[in-house]
Amino acid sequence: MSAIKVDQVAIGYSNTLIIDDLSVSIPEKKITTIIGPNGCGKSTLLKAISRVLKTKRGAVYLDGRAIHQLETKEVAKKMAILPQSANAPGGLTVFELVSYGRFPHQSGFGSLKKEDYEYIYWAIDVTGLNEFKDRPVEALSGGQRQRVWIAMALAQDTEILILDEPTTYLDLAHQLDILLLLQRLNEEEGRTIVMVLHDLNHASRFSDYMIAMKNGKLVKEGTPEEVMTCPNLQLVFNIEARIATCPFSDNPICLSYQLCQKDR
Amino acid sequence: MKEKNNKTHTQHRAKTKNLIIIGVLGLLIVVAFMISMNTGFIKLTPLEVIRTLFGLGTEKQHLILFEFRLPRIIIAVLVGMGLAVSGCVLQGISRNALADPGILGINAGAGLAVMLFISFFPSTAATPVFLLPVLAFFGAGVTAVIIYSLAYKRHEGISPMRLLLTGVAVAAGISSAMIVLTLRLSPENYQFVATWLAGSIWGSNWKFVLSLLPWILVLIPFVFSKARVLNVLNLGDLTATGLGASIEKERRILLAAAVGLAGASVSVSGGIGFVGLIGPHLARQLVGSRHQFLIPAAALTGGLLVLVADTLGRWILQPSEIPAGIVVAVIGAPYFLYLLSRLKD
Repeated sequence: MSAIKVDQVAIGYSNTLIIDDLSVSIPEKKITTIIGPNGCGKSTLLKAISRVLKTKRGAVYLDGRAIHQLETKEVAKKMAILPQSANAPGGLTVFELVSYGRFPHQSGFGSLKKEDYEYIYWAIDVTGLNEFKDRPVEALSGGQRQRVWIAMALAQDTEILILDEPTTYLDLAHQLDILLLLQRLNEEEGRTIVMVLHDLNHASRFSDYMIAMKNGKLVKEGTPEEVMTCPNLQLVFNIEARIATCPFSDNPICLSYQLCQKDR
Repeated sequence: MKEKNNKTHTQHRAKTKNLIIIGVLGLLIVVAFMISMNTGFIKLTPLEVIRTLFGLGTEKQHLILFEFRLPRIIIAVLVGMGLAVSGCVLQGISRNALADPGILGINAGAGLAVMLFISFFPSTAATPVFLLPVLAFFGAGVTAVIIYSLAYKRHEGISPMRLLLTGVAVAAGISSAMIVLTLRLSPENYQFVATWLAGSIWGSNWKFVLSLLPWILVLIPFVFSKARVLNVLNLGDLTATGLGASIEKERRILLAAAVGLAGASVSVSGGIGFVGLIGPHLARQLVGSRHQFLIPAAALTGGLLVLVADTLGRWILQPSEIPAGIVVAVIGAPYFLYLLSRLKD
């Protein structure tokens, strides 16, 4: 069963197409990671999936319905997005920012209801931000701030979470922290998670499904075992990789790599 | 469970604090009102003011209060409110702390319309004072539409940054056109236009109150009802879309409301700058960036600012007056520089 279906889409900015004729299915209640070199169109694909960018041809289907024909507020009840570089306006506390996640569920003037408070506190709790909830967001460290944005997306209470490089700019431990949190949300609550990651080993370790892209095209999709192979990595990143097995998760990992010799 | 009560308590306390701040701002306006009443050639003490308000004053007091000071004070407060809320909305939708109605060319557009009229119909300049607000409003509206359509791109819609840059460019163009036009003006007309541009509360008359009041009464509550949307737009386009806000539509509606507020205000006050910039900023320092509190606080700060500026302007060089716009600029310019220096880091 697929949560999101991308059907023969062409996506681009003004006159240039970044992705042309790409079809892919995102499985429901799984963690899916998109990998690929810089500029391959993975963020663009993510933006199309999250209806931030309109497709020029083809369509993205959410629960079998074309996403651009749905009310944006209805989509927001099913799908939360964490953009690559989110910036909070000054002076907002953690609680306040997380409370904005309730936006699609409120109507009219909408002060927070009991149910809203419950979701906000749950989101703050599950991201381990209890002691920071009354602090201004700008006073937090990068890792904490990233967790605030994730908490906001969680407060939105959606089946699907879309994250564009959620671990960028974080140190090793904090990266793992975020990914373990996402894994827990997936395993315990059955949330569908779609993200872009640059770290192949993290992608392999935490994903059920991987999508490898290059030049706006789909190169390979499947389980980490199917995607993380030497030929695929050569095709996608033009690297010669040594693949081993992760001692923690039994998934394939890239031990080391070097650039492929250019063809004469 | 007990912990949860504590948490709600903290939120509750923050809310109470903001409400108190808004109350104090309201109180300050009342104080400024009393001081303003007492400023001028004929002084009215607070007691006399209250008595006259209830119809117990002398005829002369009645005349001064109802025909001269009260409309002027009300206009000062309304203009300040309109400009500050307009600035608040523009800063919210553009995510730019330096946005204000002046940057969107609204002041310049209104000024140009007034100037064109006076330079082409110089002999009538003294009579049609009631036409000026209409002209100014028209000028502001046309300028806003021009800027909006220049900044608009198909498929991509309106980008806040492009809107601001276009606004700055168009405002600069209009200003230079105005300098050329001043050459056509007679000294008396030039004097009038210069005073108008400096932003004196010249329309101190009940008719102007009535022409401004509906805009304020309709648009400020409307903007207030959009507080949640403004909060979300403030997070950036991607996040706002993700949260389910129709950003293009909301931005257009809010922009129109901001133009309406600023245009109506400028049309009776002339080119008062800085209020739209400083009002929301001071308010943000006081109550934070949630628009549920920010909008009322900005409205009150703006109203207070213009009222104080107008009162000071009447008081400093008695019996002559300094336009409120100049007083605001004298206070505003250093604050603006201070803001810029803080934005660097």
